[in-house]
Amino acid sequence: MADLEIINLHVRTEEREILHGVSLQVNKGETHALMGPNGSGKSTLANVLMGNDTYEVTEGQIIFNGEDITGEDPEKRSQAGLFLAFQYPAVIPGVSVANFLRMAVNAHRDEPINVKEFRDKLKTNMDLLTVPREFTSRYLNDGFSGGEKKRAEILQMAMLEPTISILDETDSGLDIDALRVVSEGVNALRERGMGSLIITHYQRILDYIKPDFVHILLEGRIVEEGGPELVAKLEEHGYDWIREEVAQRAG
Amino acid sequence: MPAEQTRISPADAGRTVAGPSAIASDRKAALAAYESAPVPTWRRSGFWTTTLRDLDLESLSPREYPAVSSREELPQVVRDAIGDEQYAGLIVQRGASVIYTETSAGNPDGVIACTLEQAFDQHPELVAKYYGKRVSSEEGKFTAANAAMWTGGAFFYVPPDTSVEQPFQVINVIDEPGVAQYGRLLAIVDTSGKATFREFDLAPDIDGQALHAGVTEVFARPNSWAKVKTLQDWGAGEIFDVSTKRVEIARDAHARWFPVHLGGHLTKQTLDIVTAERGADMRHNGLYITQGNEHLDLFTTDLHESGDTTGDTVWKGAATGSSKASYEGLIEIREGCQNSHTYLQTHSLMLSKEAKVDAIPSLIVKTDDVSASHGGTVGEVDENQVFYMRTRGISREDAIRILVEGFFDPVIGGFEDERLEQLVRQRIAGKLAEASEDIAAYAATK
Repeated sequence: MADLEIINLHVRTEEREILHGVSLQVNKGETHALMGPNGSGKSTLANVLMGNDTYEVTEGQIIFNGEDITGEDPEKRSQAGLFLAFQYPAVIPGVSVANFLRMAVNAHRDEPINVKEFRDKLKTNMDLLTVPREFTSRYLNDGFSGGEKKRAEILQMAMLEPTISILDETDSGLDIDALRVVSEGVNALRERGMGSLIITHYQRILDYIKPDFVHILLEGRIVEEGGPELVAKLEEHGYDWIREEVAQRAG
Repeated sequence: MPAEQTRISPADAGRTVAGPSAIASDRKAALAAYESAPVPTWRRSGFWTTTLRDLDLESLSPREYPAVSSREELPQVVRDAIGDEQYAGLIVQRGASVIYTETSAGNPDGVIACTLEQAFDQHPELVAKYYGKRVSSEEGKFTAANAAMWTGGAFFYVPPDTSVEQPFQVINVIDEPGVAQYGRLLAIVDTSGKATFREFDLAPDIDGQALHAGVTEVFARPNSWAKVKTLQDWGAGEIFDVSTKRVEIARDAHARWFPVHLGGHLTKQTLDIVTAERGADMRHNGLYITQGNEHLDLFTTDLHESGDTTGDTVWKGAATGSSKASYEGLIEIREGCQNSHTYLQTHSLMLSKEAKVDAIPSLIVKTDDVSASHGGTVGEVDENQVFYMRTRGISREDAIRILVEGFFDPVIGGFEDERLEQLVRQRIAGKLAEASEDIAAYAATK
């Protein structure tokens, strides 16, 4: 069984069903790209994997490390090693980046991390992501630029060392330099064995983070799967090509 | 320690009402004013009314206590607050009596820290210059009561060109029901001096009613720096607090005032900061957190009596349980006060379905060529923030606590006072823990 196993997941909001039976497997060390046009259900999947109860799972299962976590609290999922880098991270006024990181790290341990160990770890990861020193004394995401928010997400990921990370449109709103830095961070963690599900609308980030597997989500269903060659095909033909193909298959 | 059950009712306590001879006739007049004034009710448009109808005034009296000779003998709630901190001056008033006084041997020449009664005796001219100059006995029933019946009291004075590092601290403590306490603080930092004044009003969880009717006057003389920290934490007992505190800032002087309200059954306080002369500059950063069925009614005025003055007022408050909290902040710029610049903002956080918060900023400006603006928000804990934090492994309960602490952080971080910061953070965390189920249930409905 895969480390993260999504089985026939049906998800709805109060208004309508958004995911109509999604299945996906992600293992440690693997990099998966989940691509799809706006409104295909990508962010819904990310939120549901993390336990956002705005959404209701009506059918199917999420298995993580062999445990059914479909109804589990978000904090338990995080503690078990699952991470989500948000597309639009919340602003946490009055809580500095450093303090927040310390609290998050401690939430994953029995004993609080000692000061030196925390400082060293923070420094290593800040260097990795070329985060300036003063960054950590600012209130988390409060007044951050789009790029700073994404860096703060990846910094949290690096500090928490999850086994599987979901990156929800981490590339959107990033300029090319910020994208390179963020990608290098992800690649470094991949080398440490992290698996990831990279959700994106664009192929650009996949020039920097080479996926092992590519899945295409359209209207709440995975309609195409393959290797990196799928990215090139999408780049060339766009999502219309997929739509046509799906229509033909149905037709 | 048992109280000496001497009942000092206003009518028959000659010494109490006479007080220092210099103000004996004023006290008689104030007593008459107190006795003839009806018990006030404060009404404002909308739902807000503060009433003392549940207070049984007749059952209360000033109560005297014997002095103690060491910190170890002070009531527990006082010892917890002071720890092993060192002060330029420490005065502890229990009921009607100052029971403990401490002054630092290292104080510069001319520094005074004593009871206000002693100050009338030993420094009559100095006291006469400031006493009652900002808070008149004619403002209402309870300022009259205070003027007529205060005993003990605290007097702090820092002479010109003198900087005092350690804080001056007065603690008013009520630790029994039935007490009427008339605390009085007069503090002055003279020309080009620098000082920190702290006033804590503390009580353990008493079982029954008590009254604190305090008056605080602080003067920051020309070119001086004053920090004022007032903290109220009356515990879970039925303590009514009707107090008036005023800080006056003279030419080119700076004052920072941090009022902290952590608890009280019913509080009606008037907190004014006056930029009285050109170049006067103030910052007024307060916070409150209410719980249970507490009722808090704060009225602050940022009063500009001169032009070329600056002000910055920020208040933050949170209400839990079925408590009610109202903050009304007025900016008043008098005629002829050109080139005054001031800003007032108030932010409140509702943490319970049953709680009520009200934040009313207002403006009276009688001069052109000034900038004065205000803003206010009333918010709730945002479930998106809670979810975000939970995805980082933080429990819902901790997430809410962290968010509320973060909400207060800009004010608490500004104290520049590690001990006070620690004390306030600890108390807020405790209150949030007590109310956690209620808060979480409320947040989940959003």
